[in-house]
Amino acid sequence: MVWAPALSAAIDLSSVVAHTLSNGLRVRILPDRLVPVVSYYTFFRVGSRNERPGATGISHLFEHMMFNGSERFGPKEFDRVLEAHGGASNAYTSNDLTAYHDDFASEALPIVVDLESDRMRALRITEEGLAQERSVVMEERRLRTDNSHFGLMEEQLDSLVFQAHPYRWPVIGWMDDIARISRAECLEFFATYYAPGNAAIYVCGDVDPDDLLARIETAYGVIPRGPPVPLPAGGEPPQRGERRAAVRHPAHATAMVAGFRGPAASEPDSAVLDLLQTCLASGEGSRLRRRLVTELEVAVSVGVGWTWRADPGVFLLSMELAPGASPRKAELALWTEIDRIASRGVTEREMARARALLRSGVLHELSTRNGVAHAMGQAEALLGDWREAGRSLERYAAVTSADVRRAAREWLDPLKRNVVWLDPEVTS
Amino acid sequence: MSGVILPDLRAVRLENGLRVVVGRRPGVPLAAARLVVRAGSALDPAGAFGLAHLVALSSRRGAGRRTGRAIDDLVEALGAHLGGGAEEDATVHGLSAPVEVLPRLLEVLAAVVARPTFPKEEVDRLRRRERAELAHDSDEPGTVADRALLEAVYGDHPYGHPVDGKDRDLARLRRPDAVAFHERWFGPAEALLVVTGPVDPGATLEEADRRLGRWRPAKALPPELPGAVRRPRRVIVVDKPDATQAQIRIGGVGIPRRSEDYFPALLANAILGGGFTSRLVEAIRVNRGLSYGVRSRFAVGRDSGLFVVSSFTKNESAGELVEVALDEMARFASAGPTAEEVARAASYLAGLFPLSLETHDHWADRIADAWIFGYDLAEVPRFPDRIRRIGEEEARGAALRHLPLEDGVVLAVGPAAKLEKQLARFGPVELWPVRRAM
Repeated sequence: MVWAPALSAAIDLSSVVAHTLSNGLRVRILPDRLVPVVSYYTFFRVGSRNERPGATGISHLFEHMMFNGSERFGPKEFDRVLEAHGGASNAYTSNDLTAYHDDFASEALPIVVDLESDRMRALRITEEGLAQERSVVMEERRLRTDNSHFGLMEEQLDSLVFQAHPYRWPVIGWMDDIARISRAECLEFFATYYAPGNAAIYVCGDVDPDDLLARIETAYGVIPRGPPVPLPAGGEPPQRGERRAAVRHPAHATAMVAGFRGPAASEPDSAVLDLLQTCLASGEGSRLRRRLVTELEVAVSVGVGWTWRADPGVFLLSMELAPGASPRKAELALWTEIDRIASRGVTEREMARARALLRSGVLHELSTRNGVAHAMGQAEALLGDWREAGRSLERYAAVTSADVRRAAREWLDPLKRNVVWLDPEVTS
Repeated sequence: MSGVILPDLRAVRLENGLRVVVGRRPGVPLAAARLVVRAGSALDPAGAFGLAHLVALSSRRGAGRRTGRAIDDLVEALGAHLGGGAEEDATVHGLSAPVEVLPRLLEVLAAVVARPTFPKEEVDRLRRRERAELAHDSDEPGTVADRALLEAVYGDHPYGHPVDGKDRDLARLRRPDAVAFHERWFGPAEALLVVTGPVDPGATLEEADRRLGRWRPAKALPPELPGAVRRPRRVIVVDKPDATQAQIRIGGVGIPRRSEDYFPALLANAILGGGFTSRLVEAIRVNRGLSYGVRSRFAVGRDSGLFVVSSFTKNESAGELVEVALDEMARFASAGPTAEEVARAASYLAGLFPLSLETHDHWADRIADAWIFGYDLAEVPRFPDRIRRIGEEEARGAALRHLPLEDGVVLAVGPAAKLEKQLARFGPVELWPVRRAM
């Protein structure tokens, strides 16, 4: 029996108030007044793909600088003021964008608009602040990359998948570059990428949209639009054969990551690869989990990571091996499963299962105010329209099993694969 | 106004003693369920650390007349997630499903918890997989630190081992151990079913009675656990010669959830090491750039708890980081927080509180917690008021009583050759191999 989920939209975005200020700042507000909390996102269209060799990691380092004081609020004040008003903030940097978010009790809305607009208008960038954030980011790099197998392996994989495109360097940047980035570069970075013309605000929660728009107009309207943003480097030669690398590092058991260059987020195949990912590795009944972990017991875990990016990104496969398992046998089993899908496709039952699991995933994402505001921002940044946040179920419904087979054949072509093995160095 | 709206609650007790709570609330068309049994890793027998965890994992690998594979296929075809795990005080099996398929899946959830079959080959396979995962975990310095800390702080208290067990014990566990643990502890009298979401309460209660009303009693009731003992401070270095960064923990015996000091300790911790502007973040990250992150928390259990400061830094600055953290703890306990800090922390905790109760899953977990830890659900919406009533002296008192100022453990995972000397000034040093934590 195949069960078909209801095909209604995952979220009603009809009450979103959308407006663009004369300086180019885009504002999208979804009121939801059930409980007195608000989620407030600011997206800047800048990430590691906008960087150049020699200044890798500047987008992420700069994200840290945004918490170090602006004209009206001194160093360390941002979070202190926000917390005193019942709020918390955080931020992340990806290959394509930098997003800041504040979650807070709705009384704090005026102060949040002040805090956010002040740092967009007049951030203070000091040598002292830069020196401090530089050492913090170096510790972050030691934590996530230098002392982590998967951090080291993914870094190696990106430099195999991409020979020319800026996706080849890590978002956190090379240690040497983190040490080298100057205050002058930070000032130029801010002037170029942190202007209203390159930014958008997404709000979901207990707000009156007209009142909020008026506040935003007053607070942000005076900030100049900013220069046109330079186009990021986009070139990448087609891959014409398999590429492999090894990472030697102390470890008790081995692991592998593999990657294929995929489509850009805006291409229809992105949704097809979501379904393929779900069939391969979501849940106990997924193909790779069942075969490699349960039946053959060659792997302790398997995963597929397919993240939508502005330019063609990476379809990533990973597995941690059972101690003593043969890497050759494990890898062969993995490619056999991929080949089965590329040659024979997936069943209708698997398609229905994948759509049902994806639907629940979308509903989970949209069950918090933070999730809704983020989904609108992500959709506009990657697909050009915040309304796409409400259309993911339609996209999945349109995908057929023939699409999945074709996508597996096309995107997971053995001649285009990149493989990194962990080579355990035994120390004790 | 607290900003928290309790779900529309219906609570009943079935004839066999099972408690059932249905919380109807608006929101996305999903439902969340938890079937909680008050038997967790604290009941692992000596020499069988990891048994409750193994029982939780293998329960869904066969239940009633279904094989594990059949359960996977049914649950996932409906777009649902079903998973079980042990905690110290309880085993929680959770279900998250599209609301329209909830009744079908409650039957599966009930079978997994009340009538698991523990197929031998599945128990053996999961045991092998868990041991293999431990081998990978032993390469993650942060995981090694968290595991080692439990034994270091609690000693032989029932909370003194990781929930997912120890390698040498997992190696010995077999199907009959799982069956015996389940028969002894799993029954309706000390169990709770929670369902939240846009559900029909009447139909859900009926379904619960149909599926769990004939669940037979367990052989035993969970015992009260002894309090954990505080001991003079020691330093433990877990040797990982290759690491370029030391993982640091400062830990001690904390408080149980039902302690009268729970709310003051929560507020005190928010100021000391809870948020982004805490004293520890200020001293360690902002003023000295020693780490990317530092946090402290009171992890509370039903019968005891753990206080822990967690951070990491390059090997050379491990001693400095520990010294700064211990100084901040001592300064807080002696001089207390300022009125401004207390007001800010109270606004922070109270203002963000509604965001911790936004989803059906949040509510299912909260209702389960209230029962496991023995507090009243009516307390939940009053949280903001309770937090705002705490004064400086009350917060200081909780810190003075419960921070490990002269007891507990300073623990570091990293190259002993570089760490031992730096840390010797904080107490007598013990050197542990990584495998002791595994």
